Amino acid sequence: MKNIIEIKGLTKKFGNFTAVDRMNLNVREGEIFGFLGPNGAGKTTTISMLTTLIRPTAGEAKIAGHDLATEGVYIRGSIGVVPQTFALFPELTAQENLNYIGKLYGLSDSVIKERSNSLLKTVGLIEHRDRIAGVFSGGMKQRLSLAASIISNPKILFMDEPTTGLDPQSRIAIRELTEHLNKQGMTIVYTTHDMDEADKICDRITIMDNGRIIADGTSEELKEMVHSGYVLEVEVENETKHLIAELKALPYVAHLNQEANILTLTIKGKKDVFYSLSDFFKRRNCQVVEIRRKVPSLEDVFIHLTKKDLRD
Amino acid sequence: MAKQIQEKGEKVLDFHKIAAIMQKNFIVLVRDKTRIIPLLLFPIFMITVFGFTSGNTPKHIPTAIVVADNSPLSQQLQQDIAGSDIFSIKRLVGTEAEAKKLLDSGTVRVIVEIPPGLGEDVESSQQASVTVIVDESDSSIAVTAQTTLSKIISVESNKIAAQKIISFQQAVGNAGGKLQAEIASQPDSYGVIAADTIAAQSLLVQSKQLTDRTSQALLLSIPPPAVYVVQSPSSANAKDTMNLTANSTYVEQSAAAGPTEAQAAIMQQSSSLVAAASANIGKATVIAAQADSQVKASKSEPAYSENVAVPLYAIHAFATADANTILRPLSYDQKPGYGTGKRPIDFLIPSIIALTIFQGAAMGMGRAVAGEKRDGSLTRVFLTPTSNATIIMGTIFFYVIFEMFRAAFLIGVSMLLFNIQIEGSILIIVLILMIFTGISISIGMILSSMVKTEQQYMGMAMLVSMPSMFLAGVFFPLQAMPKLLQLLAQILPITYAGEALRSVMIKGFGITGIISPLLILLLFLSVLLFTVFMVFKRDIE
Repeated sequence: MKNIIEIKGLTKKFGNFTAVDRMNLNVREGEIFGFLGPNGAGKTTTISMLTTLIRPTAGEAKIAGHDLATEGVYIRGSIGVVPQTFALFPELTAQENLNYIGKLYGLSDSVIKERSNSLLKTVGLIEHRDRIAGVFSGGMKQRLSLAASIISNPKILFMDEPTTGLDPQSRIAIRELTEHLNKQGMTIVYTTHDMDEADKICDRITIMDNGRIIADGTSEELKEMVHSGYVLEVEVENETKHLIAELKALPYVAHLNQEANILTLTIKGKKDVFYSLSDFFKRRNCQVVEIRRKVPSLEDVFIHLTKKDLRD
Repeated sequence: MAKQIQEKGEKVLDFHKIAAIMQKNFIVLVRDKTRIIPLLLFPIFMITVFGFTSGNTPKHIPTAIVVADNSPLSQQLQQDIAGSDIFSIKRLVGTEAEAKKLLDSGTVRVIVEIPPGLGEDVESSQQASVTVIVDESDSSIAVTAQTTLSKIISVESNKIAAQKIISFQQAVGNAGGKLQAEIASQPDSYGVIAADTIAAQSLLVQSKQLTDRTSQALLLSIPPPAVYVVQSPSSANAKDTMNLTANSTYVEQSAAAGPTEAQAAIMQQSSSLVAAASANIGKATVIAAQADSQVKASKSEPAYSENVAVPLYAIHAFATADANTILRPLSYDQKPGYGTGKRPIDFLIPSIIALTIFQGAAMGMGRAVAGEKRDGSLTRVFLTPTSNATIIMGTIFFYVIFEMFRAAFLIGVSMLLFNIQIEGSILIIVLILMIFTGISISIGMILSSMVKTEQQYMGMAMLVSMPSMFLAGVFFPLQAMPKLLQLLAQILPITYAGEALRSVMIKGFGITGIISPLLILLLFLSVLLFTVFMVFKRDIE
């Protein structure tokens, strides 16, 4: 499959702070590409550079065959962007928003009419076309923003945390719309905090931290990469604080986390330690309710790679 | 009601929380530099403007004098004007046309016309007048110039009147003395006419007293600010000139009591006194003539006629003259600089239009650019293949048209409410307004590129709009401000827009008449537009 986005050494500095550090990345045509990372990792800065909103400090990129440094106008003509803010004109109606934005893309009135009609149907706003966007709910605004972003039928659609702050119904709607557009051949670059979401819809995922890519691949590849071992969850009857030091000292325990009466143990290697572990608790007169093997989630990968400290 | 103020379990006033709220507000304010700077600068600016303008009169108003007379009086007047720091004499010219050119070009704001033969006319007891032409564009300048000049002229006029009356009073005294000497030296010869002669002499004495008072009153009224008014013991007696004169006392009053009313009272008083004096002299002349003819009939000697009647006839001119002419030898005449019947509002409207456009366009940018930045809709525009120039010009064109409608509405309303007449071409007015709107919008766009929120924008806009508001000459006279503020006004586009608009709307100037402010405005426009293109970045950092 051919690359629709090719990034080499892309860097953005704000004063002394390096937001994006020598990034190399390819996005293939027709895929849903996920951008994951904690807050401040550099996702939005990367998206802003790729969508020509801010200029890179160094590096180069080709987007839909156009050079980022010199062909911004062509790039803007071939991409659509759903920004983090809704970026609508709150005083205009849904229809007027699409008309105006369509005109800025240089579309003819008849094309705008036809496309806005089908888009408003797709995003479920056809009945609200004559209401002003300012009074819309968050979910409606996001769907209108999505419609506005694809009015020019772009080759690539950038979506910057499109489901953040939305209710579950709206999230599902946005997710379904994204998949629908992708099926029609649109390449999608999708940033999100929601690991489940990324797991569900992204073909490939890149995890960013501190301005750098720390991992990329399919969801499965990423999960493989993290755990050479596996995770056990032990639910105990009573508090086990006094056992923690001892548990940590066990040769096969790589990591231990305790939340109330649930102990999460990361086990080194593939060896089955089930009996050894239950024996450990029995000898110490500790009632074990259940020991279960946990399927690694993308969140585990994410936490594992970016460590668990809080980000600004 | 009480429930709204206090809910169960809640303190009405929790001072810890009040302190916390105050602290939070303080931190928010101090963190936002774009707000704190205007907040501090604004009061400084207000104090400067108000402090230097209130109570200050305009000074050094550029003035031209048309000198068509070279008498000592004319020279005295020129000296008086030059000596006052209200005026600064820029040019002495020969004709009104020359002076008018200077007025049109704005070189001078005031013309004083000293007419030919002024000195002679005054000398020969004919009324003469000095004409003052004022450019009413700046009402405070106009009013100051008019009141100061009318004062200078009335002071000169009073001086001349007082001198006339003094010399006349000497003549009367002289005639009276001669008459008395005549009576004393030849009591027998004039026995037959003694009664008549004595009557004439007593009238002359009275006349002298009256003119004494007149000249005293005139002289006293001259030095400002102390003003003297005549207090009459009762208004019922006021009709009786002689009584009024006898019982009147001169009372010093402070200038605050109203110098003009006090002066008017003095003039009225003087006028009655002069009228009474001249009536007395008239009577004395008649009586003396009768006595003279009786003497001539009884004796052949013409001594009486020579000694008494001749001086009497010499002052007859005064007796028959109009009191008003004697008291006001020099009058102040005022002509409007442009057209007739222009009122202060006529001169204010152009500045108000300029100010409205500036405020509207500059503030409008807060919503158009800073507001769109805030709600992200500007980002949406930046994401489309649309050039900066297109975005800038789309915004400017809209506001230019919008402001034209606003200006048209404002002019329409002022025509309706204040009956404003527009002397010049509407097309030129539209041209000026369009250029000025472009300037105002450019300023707004430059400011909006420096801020992130509308609130910050308002702070920045205040920094620019305050000087324009107060230095536009709408609220405060510029000529009364300190030099520094006057210089500041020179770099504000609104100064030139106001000037050009006034010239066209009131003076009826064509394009050639406003070429210099127009060129300056165009220069502003091109520099500011260039700056807009430079600072208007897509970078949303």
